[in-house]
Amino acid sequence: MKKQLLSMTVNGEEVNLAVTPNTTLLEVLREDLGLTGVKEGCAEGVCGACTVLMDGNPVRSCLTLALEAGGADIVTVEGMATGGNLHPIQQAFIEHGAVQCGFCTPGMILASKALLDRNSDPSEDEIKTALAGNFCRCTGYRKILEAVSAASTGHTEPRRKE
Amino acid sequence: MRLPPFAYHAPDTLDKALKIKAELGASAPILAGGTDLLVHLKHRLASPAAVISLKNIRTLKGIEVGADSLVLRAGTPLREVAAHEGVIRNFPLLVKAVHSIGAVGIQHFRGTIGGNLCLTPRCLFYNQSLFWRTGKGQCHRTGGKDCLALKGSESCQAICSGDTVPVLAALSAQVTIASAGGMRTAPVAEFFTGKGESPFNMTPEEILTEIRIPLPWGPLSSSYQRLSFRSAVDFPLINAAVAAILDKGKVESFRLVISSAGPAPVILKELESAIKGQKPDPAMLQPVREAAIKAVEGAIIENASASKEYRVKLAAVAAVRAASEALGLENQPS
Ligand SMILES: Cc1cc2nc3c(=O)[nH]c(=O)nc-3n(C[C@H](O)[C@H](O)[C@H](O)COP(=O)(O)OP(=O)(O)OC[C@H]3O[C@@H](n4cnc5c(N)ncnc54)[C@H](O)[C@@H]3O)c2cc1C
Ligand code: FES
Ligand code: FES
Repeated sequence: MKKQLLSMTVNGEEVNLAVTPNTTLLEVLREDLGLTGVKEGCAEGVCGACTVLMDGNPVRSCLTLALEAGGADIVTVEGMATGGNLHPIQQAFIEHGAVQCGFCTPGMILASKALLDRNSDPSEDEIKTALAGNFCRCTGYRKILEAVSAASTGHTEPRRKE
Repeated sequence: MRLPPFAYHAPDTLDKALKIKAELGASAPILAGGTDLLVHLKHRLASPAAVISLKNIRTLKGIEVGADSLVLRAGTPLREVAAHEGVIRNFPLLVKAVHSIGAVGIQHFRGTIGGNLCLTPRCLFYNQSLFWRTGKGQCHRTGGKDCLALKGSESCQAICSGDTVPVLAALSAQVTIASAGGMRTAPVAEFFTGKGESPFNMTPEEILTEIRIPLPWGPLSSSYQRLSFRSAVDFPLINAAVAAILDKGKVESFRLVISSAGPAPVILKELESAIKGQKPDPAMLQPVREAAIKAVEGAIIENASASKEYRVKLAAVAAVRAASEALGLENQPS
């Protein structure tokens, strides 16, 4: 199988590499670029662990051919922190105990970023809709919803309990 | 899970794509959003020589509102369909159907409206990994001569599962299909063959280019209903759409379509003349319920994650809900 050239921006840096057409974006990010924050859970689009941002939109990297990302701007969880400081969403996940085993966390954080970048003050229902395609088998989701809500602009301490 | 080897073409015009299609046909499927195709490839339900990406074909993306119709180009991402002002204003049921597909992160940005219409029909015995399938033997679609779900069935009975299918059929949408030889159009209702192994009236050399929905000629009153185990991620267990024109308290036209039953959407034709010209009345719902059950009983078989008996009941529920909402009737217990 002939390799084809792929150029894209990953976490702000331009990358150029040759890939076979049957390589997924997930495989390039993890195996060629060492970005193991991109997780492979189901490999068939169901779980959301492999979520990355492609031009700001959450997409399944397991269902995206690497060549389809040519020219795109990709963000993985490794690209969230700036100047050694965690992104406010990452910080909120830590503070609210929204991480247990952590396997779903990168996908959750990126799906949350995609939401908050569009809608800085979402309702709980809007958060649920945005994260509906991301499965977590540990936390029971409550802490994740709290963390995303805490990272939104409309949040005022202390958080309302149900 | 790895993909099988294939070549990748990303032509920048439809003509170039059609030329590749003319040469390679079925061995080079279209890759739109890939959210259905890639799963099939991973499960080795297909091992094509090449895929043809629509990524660079600008003329296959976008939405236009004309004098008498709204045109959705086949490669338009689902998100754009649901966010388009003309779609929201004219066809709220399509917005609802698009929102209920899978989940935002699965296909709302990458998945396309054309890919949703051309979604490969699904079956409990087909949409499985290669390993799973080796334990069951082959079916019409995997090289065998029988149907694993309905022994003796001459053709594959897999389920047409796209959320937008009943909506587009209820709205009397037309598809435009191109080949190197030219263009043709067909009603969405006739786009489906009813055979799971060759579900669409589209040759391997053809590409779906657009979906044209006629603008309603009177006040449209409509509904989309779907039932599934989980509200996100899961495919519909049944879905139904009603498009009616309600003018001065009278039903001027009425179309109810049920899908996710068999390989093709089911249009409840006999209801159209029965309801037309009448005032909306709760008494209409019993015939709707009966017609729905009658229509799907022959279409539904034991090939989904719910039993046939349950899916037939769900079809009646979805049909009555859709009819009630579109006719402005109180939802009747079903
Ligand atoms: C976890 C998961 C959940 C899902 N849930 C749902 C759901 O609830 N409802 C639902 O409807 N779908 C669901 N899907 C299926 C799929 O994501 C959507 O139907 C989506 O709209 C498919 O669009 P696509 O552009 O990604 O299609 P693709 O995968 O690119 O294409 C689908 C098929 O259509 C063919 N095709 C695409 N475009 C054209 C064209 N222009 N001309 C000719 N052939 C074409 C392809 O060759 C392929 O066979 C789900 C998928 C996953 C993985
Ligand atoms: S690994 Fe991509 S969705 Fe599960
Ligand atoms: S923290 Fe373990 S899956 Fe979410």
